[in-house]
Amino acid sequence: MTAKSVSLVIAGSGGAGVVTAGSLLLDAAAKAGWYALMSRSSGPQIRGGEAAAMLRFATGPVMSHDDSFHLLMAIDWDNITRFSAEIPLTGNSLIVGDPAHGEAPAGLLKNSPRQAALAMTDIAGKIENGRPNMVALGAIAALIGLPAGAMQAVVEDNLKRKGQAAIEASMTAFHAGVAAAADLPAIPKLPAVAADSGPRWSITGNEATGLGVIRGGVRFVAAYPITPATEVLEWLAPSLAKVGGMLVQAEDELASINQIIGASYGGVPAMTATSGPGLSLMIESLGLAVAAEVPLVVVDVMRVGPSTGIATKSEQSDLNIAVYGLHGDAPHIVVAANSVSDCLFTTQWAVHLAEAMQVPALVLTDQAMGQARAIVPKPAELAFIGQRLTATAAVEGERYKRYAMTGSGVSPMAIPGMPGLTHTADGLEHNEFGTPSSQASDHHAQMDKRSRKLTQFNYGDHWADIEDSEVGAGDTAIITWGSSTGPAREALDRYSAAGGKARLISVRLIAPVQPEKMAAALQGMRRVLVVEQSHSGQFYRMLRAFYDLPVETRSLHQGGPLAFGPGQILEQLTAWSA
Amino acid sequence: MSNDLKSGDAINTLPELLAHALAMETEAAERYGELADQMETHRKAAVAAIFRRLEKAEQEHLDDLTERCSKFDLPHYAPWDYHWSHSESPEAIDITKVHYHLSVRGAVLLALEHERKATAFYAGVAQAAADAEVRTLALHFADEERQHIGWLEACLAGCGPTDDTALDDPDPPLSQE
Amino acid sequence: MEAVAKKKYAAKDYKSDLKPIWCPGCGDYTVLNSITRALAELALPPEQVAVVSGIGCSSRIPAYTSVYGFHGVHGRALPVATGLKLARPDLTVLVTGGDGDGFSIGGNHFLHACRRNVDLTYIVMDNQVYGMTKGQASPTTAPDWEGSKLTPEGTGINPFQPLVVGLASGANFIARVSSSDPINMAKIIVEAIRHPGFSLVQVLSPCVTFRPEQAEWRDIVRTAVVDYTDDAARAARRLMTDDGFNVGKVLFKGSRPPFRPEFENSNGSVAELEARFAL
Repeated sequence: MTAKSVSLVIAGSGGAGVVTAGSLLLDAAAKAGWYALMSRSSGPQIRGGEAAAMLRFATGPVMSHDDSFHLLMAIDWDNITRFSAEIPLTGNSLIVGDPAHGEAPAGLLKNSPRQAALAMTDIAGKIENGRPNMVALGAIAALIGLPAGAMQAVVEDNLKRKGQAAIEASMTAFHAGVAAAADLPAIPKLPAVAADSGPRWSITGNEATGLGVIRGGVRFVAAYPITPATEVLEWLAPSLAKVGGMLVQAEDELASINQIIGASYGGVPAMTATSGPGLSLMIESLGLAVAAEVPLVVVDVMRVGPSTGIATKSEQSDLNIAVYGLHGDAPHIVVAANSVSDCLFTTQWAVHLAEAMQVPALVLTDQAMGQARAIVPKPAELAFIGQRLTATAAVEGERYKRYAMTGSGVSPMAIPGMPGLTHTADGLEHNEFGTPSSQASDHHAQMDKRSRKLTQFNYGDHWADIEDSEVGAGDTAIITWGSSTGPAREALDRYSAAGGKARLISVRLIAPVQPEKMAAALQGMRRVLVVEQSHSGQFYRMLRAFYDLPVETRSLHQGGPLAFGPGQILEQLTAWSA
Repeated sequence: MSNDLKSGDAINTLPELLAHALAMETEAAERYGELADQMETHRKAAVAAIFRRLEKAEQEHLDDLTERCSKFDLPHYAPWDYHWSHSESPEAIDITKVHYHLSVRGAVLLALEHERKATAFYAGVAQAAADAEVRTLALHFADEERQHIGWLEACLAGCGPTDDTALDDPDPPLSQE
Repeated sequence: MEAVAKKKYAAKDYKSDLKPIWCPGCGDYTVLNSITRALAELALPPEQVAVVSGIGCSSRIPAYTSVYGFHGVHGRALPVATGLKLARPDLTVLVTGGDGDGFSIGGNHFLHACRRNVDLTYIVMDNQVYGMTKGQASPTTAPDWEGSKLTPEGTGINPFQPLVVGLASGANFIARVSSSDPINMAKIIVEAIRHPGFSLVQVLSPCVTFRPEQAEWRDIVRTAVVDYTDDAARAARRLMTDDGFNVGKVLFKGSRPPFRPEFENSNGSVAELEARFAL
C-alpha cells in the first residue's frame, strides 16, 4: 500500500523524548529524499509536559497537514486527550500504544481507529541504555517505509558527542522496533526515493523569516522575547553577528520598535519580530515611523488572541490590528507569508518595500508556519535588496527638504553624517523641511505624499500567488491568505484531480489593497470562497470593503487554534458545484 | 560701579582683551536677537522692537570689532574660562529673567543693567591693566557701551511711569502636545 | 585659557533658524544655549551629532539645533537614541527631554538606559510639571503641590528621585545643574559627552508659566561643595541626603565600559548562513 503522503503523530509525556524523536524522524526522512512538514504541540509546562510531534511525509513538497493522521504512536497516554482535537483520527487510523501504560483513553477512540500494541518499554528495557522512543522510531520507520540506513546516519550525526556506545544503544533499540513492527497492522508506505531528489532545505518558518531579513539587507535587530516569535530572534542573534550586523535585547516592545526606528534613521536597515501582544505595544511607534518616514520591518508571528490568548497556538486574527491599528491616516505596508518557505520570500520582499518607500512594513506569519519545520525545495535566489533613496550632496544655498514633494512621494533621505543635510525627523505633522506645522495645507500635502508612495509603487506579480486547476480556472475562486493557503492549495489539487476547475488567490500584499489586480484575477469568476482562520472573518470583511466580489461569495472562517484541513475546504467547493 | 573681573584675574594683552570683547559683543548681539525673536513669537511687537534695535547696535559693534580682531591671532577661551565674574558675559541679559508680559520699560531696565555691567567690565579691565594699549582700548570700549546706556536712558524717560508691571492675560495657557 | 588653533565652530552654528515656541523666561532656552556652547567647544561637525527627543516642551530642542534631530513619541527618546548610537557608533548622540517624558511614561527606558550604559548623554530638563498639557503634576512634583486641576489636593506621592534611581540603575556619569548657570551647564555637558557610557544630567529648569514660584530656584540652588566621587556607595549616600538643590558639579563618574554588542568580523556571507539549511 503506497501513498503520496503519510501522516503520523508521536505523543508522550515529559521525558519520553517525543520532540527529539520527531526531529530525528524528520532528519531521516530528509536523508531518504522525502519532503516533510512537522508541527509540534505541547502542554503549558515549561519542562516535562505532554507533547506531540505531528509529521507528514511525502515524495513531493508538503504544503499542509492532512485531514487526519494515519498513525498515532503513543509512547504513553499521559494527558494525551488534550491533543485529541489536533489529532483527527479515522476508522483507518492506527493507534499504537505501549501495554505497559494501559489502554488508550476513550477520548481518542471516537471514530473507532484501529489499535495495536508495541511493548516499547519492555523491548527497550532489554537493551542497555535502550529508550522506548527509539523503539517507536524503528516501528514507525518500518511502517512508513523509511530506510533504516537514513536513520543510522541521522543518529550518528546527533549522538556523535555522546560516543559510539550511545549510537549503538539507540540503533539497537531502533532495529528492535523495526522487527517488532512486523506484527503491527499496515499503514500507507511511501516509496523510497533516491537521496538526490533535487536540492532541498530543512528549515522552520521562523528561521526562513530570519534569513529573509538578512537577505533583504537588515543589519540591526532589536528583540524582546515572545512566543511564538522568539525563534526568529534567536536565529538572528548569532546569524547577524556573522554578517556584521547586531541584535540587541530591549527592555520591552516599546523599546524594541523605537530602537529599530533609531537604527534605521541612522541608515541601517532594521527590524524586530513579535506577536500580537507585542505588536499592540508597538502600534504608536509604527505611526511614528509612518509620519517620520523611517523604513523598518516588524514581523508578527500571530498567535491566538485577544490578550495573552493561547500563546503557543496559531490564529490569523491580527489582520485587523495590522491593517487598521494605527491611529490617524497612516499608510503602511502589510504583507503575509503563505508557507514555511514563503516566510523567506515575503520577509525579504518586505525589507525591499520598506526601504524603497521609507515606510514601516508589517509581515504577518503565524505560529503554525513559524514553528513548523519543513523539508522544502531549495528556495530561489531573490533580487530584492533594501534600496533606500538617499540624498546626495547638499546644494549650496538651498535648505534640505527631508519631506520634499516628489512625484513618487518618496523623498531623498539624508543619513546622519551627511554634511549640509541636517534636519529633524518628526512625528509631529510637518512641512517639507520637517518643521512642525499645524496648517491644513501641510497636513494634506504630507498625507497625499505618504499615501502616494504606496499607491504608485510597482508591486509586480507578488501581490498574490494565483494558481489554477490543471484543467483551467473555471468560475470559482478561493481567496485566502497566510497559513490557510496550504490546505487551500491541497484542496484545489484534490478538486482538480477530481476534474474540478477553480482558481486559488493567496493574497500576499494585504495593504495597500490592489483592486485592479484583484479585478483582473477575478475576471470570469462567478463564485468566491474566502478562507481564513479568524472567528470574525476579518479577511472576508476586508475583502468586502475594498474589492468587488461576485454576489456568490461565501466566507469559510474559524478561530484558531485548529488549522483547516484540506478536506474542509474541498467540501465547500464540492458542495457548491454540486 | 563694581569691577566685573573675576577676582585675581587680569587681562594684559590686546589679543586677550579682543577675545573677551568679541565673545561679549557676539553674545550680546545674539541674546538681544533671541529676545527679540521670543517677543515676536509671542506677539509683543513693542518690546521686540527694543531688543531688535539693541541687536542691531551690538551687531554694529561686533562688525567693527571683528575688523579690528582680524589683525590679531586671538587666544581660545572655553566659555567658562573668560575673566568675567558672571556666568555669562556681562552684556548678555539672563534669558530666564524675561517674561512674555515684559513691558517696554522692563526690557529697557534689563538692558540698562547689562549695558552698565559691560561698561563696568571694560572699566575694570582698564583699571587693572598694566599695558597702556590694553588700558586705552578698554576705556574706548567702555565709552562705546556708555553710548548704549545713553540711548536706553532716553528710552526709559519716554516710558510711562505705570509701564513697569506685567499685564494680566485674560486667556489661560493653551494645551499643546 | 589655552592657546590653541582658532575655534572651528561658534555656538550659533549649532542653532537652526527655527524660533522656539517656549515661553519667554523658560529655563529650556538656557539649556539650548548650553548645548550649543558645549558642541562648539567640542568642535563637533554638526552632521556628526544627533539630538533625539520624545514629547514635551524640552523635547522640542532637536528642531532648534542645526544637527541631525529626531523628535519621536512620548517617552521613547532613549530607545531611539540607543538604536541610533548602536547602529552608528561614529555619531555623538544626545537625548533631551523633560521629567514626565523621561521618568513617567519613559521610566522603564530610563532604568534600562542607565543599566545598558550605551554612550549617550541624557539631558533632562526637570521643572516638576507637564507644561505642554497645561501644568499637571509630574513624577518629580512635590506631594503637596496643589496647582493642578487633576490633583487639586496634591499628588500625595513622594517625588521620583532621578539621580538616585539613575545611580542605582547604573548610569556612568551623574550631574545636576541649574538653568541659572548656563556656562557651568555647558562645561558639565562637555564633560558628560566626553565621558564614555550613559551620562545623566539633571537640569533644574523652571517653568515660568505653571510653576512661577520656581523663579526662586536661582536663589535656592548652591554649588555643591565637594567634587565627584567614583565610589557609587558614597555617591548614593550623598544623593540620598541632599535636598535636590546642590548643583553645578559632577556628582558621580563611573568607569564601566559602554555597551557595545559583540559581533564577529563581518567576513561571513549570507551564503554561509543558507548552507546550514541545505540537505
